[in-house]
Amino acid sequence: MSERLRESLSAMLDDEANELEIQRVIKALDQDPELRETWRRYQAIRTAVTDHGVSHLQLDISSRVREALDSQESPAVASLGQRLRKPFASFAVAASVAATVVIGGQQLATLDAEDPYGVETASSGGVSPVGLINSVGAVPVRASFGTQPVPVTQASARNAYEELARQRMQLYLQEHAEHAALNSPDGLIPFARVPEIQE
Amino acid sequence: MAGLRSKSWKNFVFALPAAFLLPALVFAGDCPEVDLEAIKWLDRMTRSVDEVSYHGVVTFQRDGQDMQVMQVSRVVDGDTSFERLTQLTGQGAEILRASHPLQCVHPGHKLLRMGQDLQDGECGLSRLYRFRVTEGERVAGRKAVRLEVAPRDLYRYGYILELDRRTGLLLKSVTVGRGSRMLEKFQFADIAYNSRLPEGAEINLVHEAEHPAPGEAREERSLPQAWQVGWLPRGFTATDTPLPNAARRTFTDGLAVFSIFIEELDRSIRPGEGVVRSGSTTSYTRGMNVGDEPVLVTVVGEIPVNTARMVADSVAWTH
Repeated sequence: MSERLRESLSAMLDDEANELEIQRVIKALDQDPELRETWRRYQAIRTAVTDHGVSHLQLDISSRVREALDSQESPAVASLGQRLRKPFASFAVAASVAATVVIGGQQLATLDAEDPYGVETASSGGVSPVGLINSVGAVPVRASFGTQPVPVTQASARNAYEELARQRMQLYLQEHAEHAALNSPDGLIPFARVPEIQE
Repeated sequence: MAGLRSKSWKNFVFALPAAFLLPALVFAGDCPEVDLEAIKWLDRMTRSVDEVSYHGVVTFQRDGQDMQVMQVSRVVDGDTSFERLTQLTGQGAEILRASHPLQCVHPGHKLLRMGQDLQDGECGLSRLYRFRVTEGERVAGRKAVRLEVAPRDLYRYGYILELDRRTGLLLKSVTVGRGSRMLEKFQFADIAYNSRLPEGAEINLVHEAEHPAPGEAREERSLPQAWQVGWLPRGFTATDTPLPNAARRTFTDGLAVFSIFIEELDRSIRPGEGVVRSGSTTSYTRGMNVGDEPVLVTVVGEIPVNTARMVADSVAWTH
């Protein structure tokens, strides 16, 4: 595997691949059975995340992706108007490809959805099950002095999860640093990563 | 970010042979080619901390954030060591580790002491990283030797380590992610080898570092049932021995460290995932059902997102 391909694959796994990188990986998937196996394994994990089970993962994602890319018009024959629209079109393709191939956190979130931040949370006066703070739109707020909680926005679960990840980082980083400080070459430096040291 | 990009690292990455991922397969049962000089320097690096006392000023940079400056001291006294980190910027916290026995070598450092491993026919870290020793730059006025550490798989980051040519002490460390991107850098700006502690910084808070170690029982948040991690990247080992139902597990490969935290939820959660990164640190949180129970799994550590995701995915209850 070439260094560049490795980078592209890594970018796709990290959700950061651009169109060029996606094409590079698809091309390599075509030619390299071992890579294809790795990719299938990865996709299996992705599918498992969506609670769909692994079975329908036998689908070869790469051909679907290639179709998406192939349907893109060629710049050589594009009119000026088309060329002007091109950046958007190409972005859309890249985005749809990313959603197909890579992960699509939002997709995951909409599946099997039972709203955890729903009405019950606020009306029971209880703590949100995952300790989500109210800065996230997914949490309902009370409308003035009324008794009915009003869901503000059905904010994307992706944002909610990102907020959770941020909170967890603050919550857990010091405990992690206690271990990193004894098990990496950096001495006490791992504590410098902790946003706020607690006694 | 652009300011943190380094030309030399880029050259290093692109100079790597194309068969980057393959050696471990090709040389199965045998060690991939090993740079013995690099192994020697790594070994020396982990032992240097037992041999020298020092004080220095360290800068710490992460992409998109202000530089942090701190005083770092380490004093070897008989068969114990004393360590101190004092933040000169930001929160003004001080971290202390006193009376740490020199013979107390934690799993991460054992992994770095590979000399014996290689003699015993084990490949140690050379299975996981490709090492190269080159002429170092000048760090804190000291001549350094540079150790380029490139990962052999996609599950960990790369590093550029600069060690004091005289003492082996780690003077500078850069963590490098995909695309030759510098994620984080710390380096000494000034260092003195003696055992007189500098004073004078105004401290807001003192934290005594804990000492989690294998075989030592600690009080920790626990879950009603035991759990396990089904998949770890190659070469990672536990940093301590928590109870089977402890809410945390931590693993290291000698250079990278990550921790897994589990929270049991009292009601179901919409499945999903979220990621936040800061420097080389990834925080990946995933809501999912393990068995029939809704849990929140968080992986925090100096590893790529994908590694965190795959580890989180493999969490299961122990039956």
